[in-house]
Amino acid sequence: MIQFRLWAFLGAVALFALARSGCSSGGTSTPAVVVYTSVDDVFARPIAGRFQKETGIEVKLVPDTEETKSTGLLNRLLAEKDRPQADVFWSGDPVRPGILKKHGVTAAYQSPSAEGLPAQFSDPEHHWTGFSARARILLANTQHEVFKNAPLPSSIRDLADPRYKGKACVANPLFSTAGMHAAAIFQVMGEAEAKKFFEGLLANQTRVLSSNGEVRRRVADGEFAFGLTDTDDAAEAIRDGKPVKMIFPDEKGMGTLIVPNAAVLIARGPNTENGKRFMDYLLRPETEAALAEGEAAQMPLRPSVPVPKGVANVKELKPMNVDYAKLADILEEISKGFLKDWVDRSSK
Amino acid sequence: MISADVLERPGNWRAAGIIVVLVAAVIPAAPLAVGALAVPGTLADSVSISFGRALQNSMVAALCVMGLTLLAGLPLGVLSALYEFPGRRVFLALASLPLLVPSFLWAIGWSTLAIHLGQMISAGMSGFPGSVLVFSAGAMPLVLLLSFSSAAGLPASQAEAARLAGGEWAVFRYVCRHVFPVALLAAVLGGILTLSDPGPGQILGLRTAASEILVSFAALYDFRLAGHQCILLTTLVLLVTVPLAWFAAPRVASEMLPRQSRLPQRMRLRATTALLVAGFLLVILTGTVLPLLGLTLPLAGGGMLRRASAEVGRTAGDTLVYAAGAGMTAALLGVLLAACVGRSPRGRRVCIGFCLALFALPPSLSALGLMQLAAKAPAWTDVLLRSRLTVCMALGLRFFPVAALLSLRAWGAMPSSWALAAGIHGVSLKRYVSQVALPFLLPTLAVAVLLVALLATAEVGTVLLLHPPGESSLPLAVFTVMANAPSALVASLCLLYVAGAAVLLAMLWLLTARKAL
Repeated sequence: MIQFRLWAFLGAVALFALARSGCSSGGTSTPAVVVYTSVDDVFARPIAGRFQKETGIEVKLVPDTEETKSTGLLNRLLAEKDRPQADVFWSGDPVRPGILKKHGVTAAYQSPSAEGLPAQFSDPEHHWTGFSARARILLANTQHEVFKNAPLPSSIRDLADPRYKGKACVANPLFSTAGMHAAAIFQVMGEAEAKKFFEGLLANQTRVLSSNGEVRRRVADGEFAFGLTDTDDAAEAIRDGKPVKMIFPDEKGMGTLIVPNAAVLIARGPNTENGKRFMDYLLRPETEAALAEGEAAQMPLRPSVPVPKGVANVKELKPMNVDYAKLADILEEISKGFLKDWVDRSSK
Repeated sequence: MISADVLERPGNWRAAGIIVVLVAAVIPAAPLAVGALAVPGTLADSVSISFGRALQNSMVAALCVMGLTLLAGLPLGVLSALYEFPGRRVFLALASLPLLVPSFLWAIGWSTLAIHLGQMISAGMSGFPGSVLVFSAGAMPLVLLLSFSSAAGLPASQAEAARLAGGEWAVFRYVCRHVFPVALLAAVLGGILTLSDPGPGQILGLRTAASEILVSFAALYDFRLAGHQCILLTTLVLLVTVPLAWFAAPRVASEMLPRQSRLPQRMRLRATTALLVAGFLLVILTGTVLPLLGLTLPLAGGGMLRRASAEVGRTAGDTLVYAAGAGMTAALLGVLLAACVGRSPRGRRVCIGFCLALFALPPSLSALGLMQLAAKAPAWTDVLLRSRLTVCMALGLRFFPVAALLSLRAWGAMPSSWALAAGIHGVSLKRYVSQVALPFLLPTLAVAVLLVALLATAEVGTVLLLHPPGESSLPLAVFTVMANAPSALVASLCLLYVAGAAVLLAMLWLLTARKAL
């Protein structure tokens, strides 16, 4: 009887695996578009669903997130360069598209839907187009004891202020938008000043955490007084009812870093025409409005798109004066040198 | 007609078979490894002081994990194989759960719980202690289950002889000695598994070699540097594991006599019952309940079960396919390797050493290698290189060392006289394998399939890189929504995931494990 059960178990497992493993849905005749995205799944999937409903083109979404600490989609795109599976890369920031462009993974495409989007947030050669944005902000726990004797922070330089020694945190700048922010700081402050700033963080015992999500969690739970993260992380903590406040830093100084999404057409993708249609859909004002109204709480870049209550208006912010097209180069350079060394020293 | 006794005689086919299986296991990693070796000059970068320090941290953590899991897993596995106690199968199923969940999720659970418990606990959980705890909790089921299955397969006559000679204490000592080589190898596998896992170290603040490799891959996009670092790590593991393989290989399988194949009956003793229940409660508490509590704290504000259920429905089928496919691939290769090795101590040493080193390779190396192969191959190869089958194969090859270890032991325990007698009586190889060898190996195969399936379910990196668009697994879905999804949704997903896994495991134990395991 036991033998029979074991055989039945193994037989069932083998049959199940064999029957389904070879038959990916890629062979179906439904028109499809393959979209890789580093935007959080909860924000990207509803948009993909609406596109599918309106056009009848099936969207095969491959999401990624910084939380997984995995090798990531960018490496997948680089490794697949010779015969890509993706048609579109919907990136949560413009730096990764910049790296892909350097490696010859992207194709130029000027979408007619991009009209009205500010040119400063897009690649001048149209390899990526920026739309709806997040911002790099300071998330402060208003109930933290340090704020009984000190004001809430207002600048990223407060991360190095001795009043907050050991009470602040940042995400590992080798990854995600924290990396982009580091590159932007180097561009705006200049190399010497930027290095001084980062050394100041170390001297002030600012903790380097694994991700922006981790910054949000630990600040929201009161382990740290404040930290540098993204608006969508902050919005999540606020939705969860945590005692936190979102602060747009350096309104009187160098400004807040705006992090636009970027739509990228992949060169030699399997369904390029559908890819273009998806990009056109993504870059419409309606998508910007949807991303602003949903859980993403992203800021529309078009002045004409209404900004819902609770979402910051880009027009009212003082943006950091950044040349987005050059950030990928800067990040690549500092990641292999100063930043890597800085992260190593921070974890001693 | 090939005679059955070919399985007990030397032959060139053995070496050829071993080479084929082992080469198949490294092929996915070959493109990046060869690429890294072909470029001189980057070795200096890969052995930088920072990587050296990280490597040292990793090695110390791995040694601690091996020690802890061996100390707790071996006696617990042996006792639960020898003695009956209330809820044995449920306890075993619950203790296996950490295998199903990626370690970084447990790390987040512990970290969240520690913050809620106060600054002191939070500080105590960060860095080395927290990482070792999370890694140990993940590796514990491997040692426990392999010790259990190894002890459960001990012939009844030997256990009874030990009992007659010195009572229960003698049985325990004897069985522990019998199980020790397998438990040691399982602990080593668990320790090595931590070397290629960057998650807990990143979250709890311990710099490890895996984190450095991750940085090379995901932040520097330098495949060659990452390849170099992987090769260094593997070489180091190989240096450490060769003496171990030398020691363990001859002891990994002791041949039974034909009349010994009766399995022992489990006894019920009051003292062992209390000990076992306490031991299992501790393992389940630290390995599952406490980190799960940390993950599900946000549920206090109300769950989002409907939304979470939709996510489960979308991904459950593919999750099961990947797990089942990986289990079958690994078990098949494991048995094939064991058949080729036969009773050769030298073959066993080579294979065990190789398997241990193979386990140290970060999965991303193989996954990216496979992707490069697929990108260069013609479109007709997609069914092999870009389908669910690819994920199954990659996961199976990743965890094949576990199945190989189990199979080597089971094959070695099979009496050689069976094949020889079958040969003398003119029984064909096909008939012998189907009527005698496979039924004998069946319990081991079932355990191998189950263990690899569990481990494969928790492997997110490989699935993320290789899954066909639109066909992701449930753990991958959990981890791609967790960055910015409402905490309640993430908590609901985690809860559904772990609850579903627990039910599935309990059902499997009830279905297959009544007497054989």
